[in-house]
Amino acid sequence: MLTRLKDGHVVDPANGRDGEGDVFVEDGVVVDPPGDGRTADETIDCRGLVVMAGAIDIHSHIAGGHVNTARLLLPEWHRAFSARPGETALSKVGWTTEETGLRYAEMGFTTVVEPAMAPSSALHAHLELADTPIIDKATLVVLGNDDLLMSMIRDGESDAAIADYVSWTVASSRALGVKCINAGGSAAFKENVRKFDFDDVVPDYGVSSRQIVKTLQKAVKALGIPHPLHVHCNNLGVPGASSDSIAATIRAAEGDPMHLAHIQFYGYGTDGKRRFSSQGRDLAELVNSTPEITVDIGQVMFGQTVTISSDELRQFAGRGQASPKKSIIFDHEANGGGVVPMDYRQKSYYNALQWAIGLELFLLIEDPSRVFFTTDHPNGAPFTSYPDIFALLMDRNVRAKWLDALPKAAVRMTSLPEIEREYTLAEIATMTRAAPARLLGTVDRGHLGAGAVADISVYRPGEDKAAMFARAAYVLKDGDVVVKDGTVVKRRFGRALTLRPEPDKAMKTRLDRYFDDRYGLKSRWFEVPEGAIGREDPFQVVPCRA
Amino acid sequence: MEIAWIDGKPATRDEALRVAGDLFAKARQPFICGLRTDVSGLRAALALARQAGAIVDHGASSSIYGLISAARDAGAFLAAPAEMRRRADRVLIVGDDAGRVGADVLKLLAETKPDLGVETRKSGRRFLALSRQAVAIDPGSDISHLDCASKDVVDVLGMVRAKLAGRRVAEGPVGAGAVETLAAFLGEAGFAAIVFSPAEFGEIGTEMILGLAGDLNDMARVSTLPVVEWPDAMGAALVATWTSGFPLRVSFGRGAAEHDAQLYSTERQLSDEGEADLVVLVDALAGETSAVSGFARPTIVIADDPAGPSAAKVVFKVAAAGRDHDGVLYEPRFGSFVGVTGKNQSGLPTAAETLDALAGTLGGTAAEAA
Ligand SMILES: [Zn+2]
Repeated sequence: MLTRLKDGHVVDPANGRDGEGDVFVEDGVVVDPPGDGRTADETIDCRGLVVMAGAIDIHSHIAGGHVNTARLLLPEWHRAFSARPGETALSKVGWTTEETGLRYAEMGFTTVVEPAMAPSSALHAHLELADTPIIDKATLVVLGNDDLLMSMIRDGESDAAIADYVSWTVASSRALGVKCINAGGSAAFKENVRKFDFDDVVPDYGVSSRQIVKTLQKAVKALGIPHPLHVHCNNLGVPGASSDSIAATIRAAEGDPMHLAHIQFYGYGTDGKRRFSSQGRDLAELVNSTPEITVDIGQVMFGQTVTISSDELRQFAGRGQASPKKSIIFDHEANGGGVVPMDYRQKSYYNALQWAIGLELFLLIEDPSRVFFTTDHPNGAPFTSYPDIFALLMDRNVRAKWLDALPKAAVRMTSLPEIEREYTLAEIATMTRAAPARLLGTVDRGHLGAGAVADISVYRPGEDKAAMFARAAYVLKDGDVVVKDGTVVKRRFGRALTLRPEPDKAMKTRLDRYFDDRYGLKSRWFEVPEGAIGREDPFQVVPCRA
Repeated sequence: MEIAWIDGKPATRDEALRVAGDLFAKARQPFICGLRTDVSGLRAALALARQAGAIVDHGASSSIYGLISAARDAGAFLAAPAEMRRRADRVLIVGDDAGRVGADVLKLLAETKPDLGVETRKSGRRFLALSRQAVAIDPGSDISHLDCASKDVVDVLGMVRAKLAGRRVAEGPVGAGAVETLAAFLGEAGFAAIVFSPAEFGEIGTEMILGLAGDLNDMARVSTLPVVEWPDAMGAALVATWTSGFPLRVSFGRGAAEHDAQLYSTERQLSDEGEADLVVLVDALAGETSAVSGFARPTIVIADDPAGPSAAKVVFKVAAAGRDHDGVLYEPRFGSFVGVTGKNQSGLPTAAETLDALAGTLGGTAAEAA
């Protein structure tokens, strides 16, 4: 069946389109306009509407052991998630895989990456993702606090052997990339270390955070994994130390691609009488001048949320600020992690400045293909706050209104009021469509050229940008109309995008023995068997680069 | 081979499904329980519950609820057994049930020595049991015993917390010396692990044990290894949590999931006070059945070994997940889900298939209702 999205304002920066025109869809993919005078079987009138590829979220904690623990810890947590408070008995509704898929789809997001899958939680994460409707999903697998990697570095094992181990981990867990979270920091915390910098060494291994990051960066490159190493730096949230850590990490990229996650949490200096200030301008400048670096923001928005992280050291340190006062800290193999509820208050100097720092970074980083749209859901804010953030980026009057409501002391510490930039629709489409697809190596998405997956979002433009992005007029997933007027009209299941490198046989044998001898675990427990997912065709393989 | 019964008499599966569907049609408040099944079975059970407006609980939720309630009220430090095997140099065993319920965990700790950590490696692994009954572990292990009745354990740990906080400690049930011993044992740890069974101490006691671990972490590294008698209840709670937002004890009676740990518990629903007027018992894992009994109401049984509850109105014999067919099960040693290959593929319908078929008789498939 040929579908024509007719006369929309097509915003497709990957193909240089930004103007009125049609998009044709057949058999789930975008096709060229039929040259033979063939008419469409179905026409969607897009006159006056904006047509973009489906949005891609590269960093959102939506599945796995830690996310599920957050649900367990906060049966009251749904309030933070309510899209339409007051309409339903929300006090009785939980935050589920089902709601995750539906709410994302309604905003026009069609692919979401869960960025912190522990190898030991891979099957759990994929089971949850399989229960998340409509959207396609992907995962990043976490390495960098694991005994084997640190031992291999300490023992001077070859780059090839380390790459084999990384390859096995990616293949077993069915990940799309590799993430490294406070490299060495969680392992050091298990030795009761309470502060860990980029050049500190993990006790017992004598291996520094820098060595771990560089080793993984090299392995990811050698394996041809399209997504560069995804790094969560040391000292997240610590004024002064955070900005030092991220600056050191950026310099350590040394010309090879590296992605830095939720950098807002590292934009903190120690100026002012509260010893908490914005480093936004300097950090943005450093990103601007380091072309091999990509970043996402981790924007903070006000309200109740929960932080979910495999940075066990950081979560432990943050447990004092838990609101409500309870947290769960995991001492698992490798990273461990923690779940700490958080209430970001507009009237708090600190929270207000965090909010402003995120926006400074969004607006001062010049290239929208190197800065990605995230709240580090739910760490900075639930993903349901995205429409408000689009409005803040696209409209300086909206920013001015928000700034008026903040503590004056915080406003004095940010350059945000002077920043005039407003994101254009094309820049929004670059940041949320074209660039993420390139970053992940998923060449069939993020654009509307022939051959692209027909994941398409259509918005009703208006003065109120938040309203525009909250409720897509139409969303097509694989060519199916799944959302109309901001409501899901067809429920279906997407797939998980995975790499499928062929792991080395000798490494597999070695790991069978390693997990059994050292942990008493079977290495196959780390695997995600296709048949275990319980859905037809649950995976789509993305090729590694040659 | 018979695979379905109505009123104790053999029937075809289709007839049994029809009668079961009629029971659903007549029921005002169905209750789906037992819930001993794999992830597919749990998904199907939850989907059926949503479709039928049922209440859902696991037959042995009480074995995990002390932990769940305490953790969500006050937080927790939780460890993976495999990590503690490599790292814990001091293991405190609390209470009389841990030795039995946590036999596997204690065995793996007793058979190994800490090999990760500068401090933990130095002194090897020592155990201390705070219990009435001595704990039987590998005879080569370094274990001491502080005699303490189960009912006094929480008080004693409270005194340890008071002492660590620098407060004066009154003479308690085991004497000040024991409190000193406990504090010293935990204080000398490079990494301490506390093993206990939450079911023995309930919510309040579990909160005290988790609180002790929390306090100790201000200065040192300590975590806990709660052990539960029915780990598949934990697996069921996790699946229910991502599906409904809540760890079982959920009702779909008013559409959206509602959670109440007392109202929707198996104990209450199977008692005289329960609202349930139709019971669906799922018991399709190899091994023992969880303690669900007393079928005063019409009951549909879906079980791998349905010999026991012959008083049921409708019975389906199904394959046991992980034995008769491949399945995903919760593995407590791993602290997560694992794929398990069925070694003796029976070809019987699975619990998931049966629940889906049952949902199908209600109109619409369970998958659509999920
Ligand atoms: Zn994150």
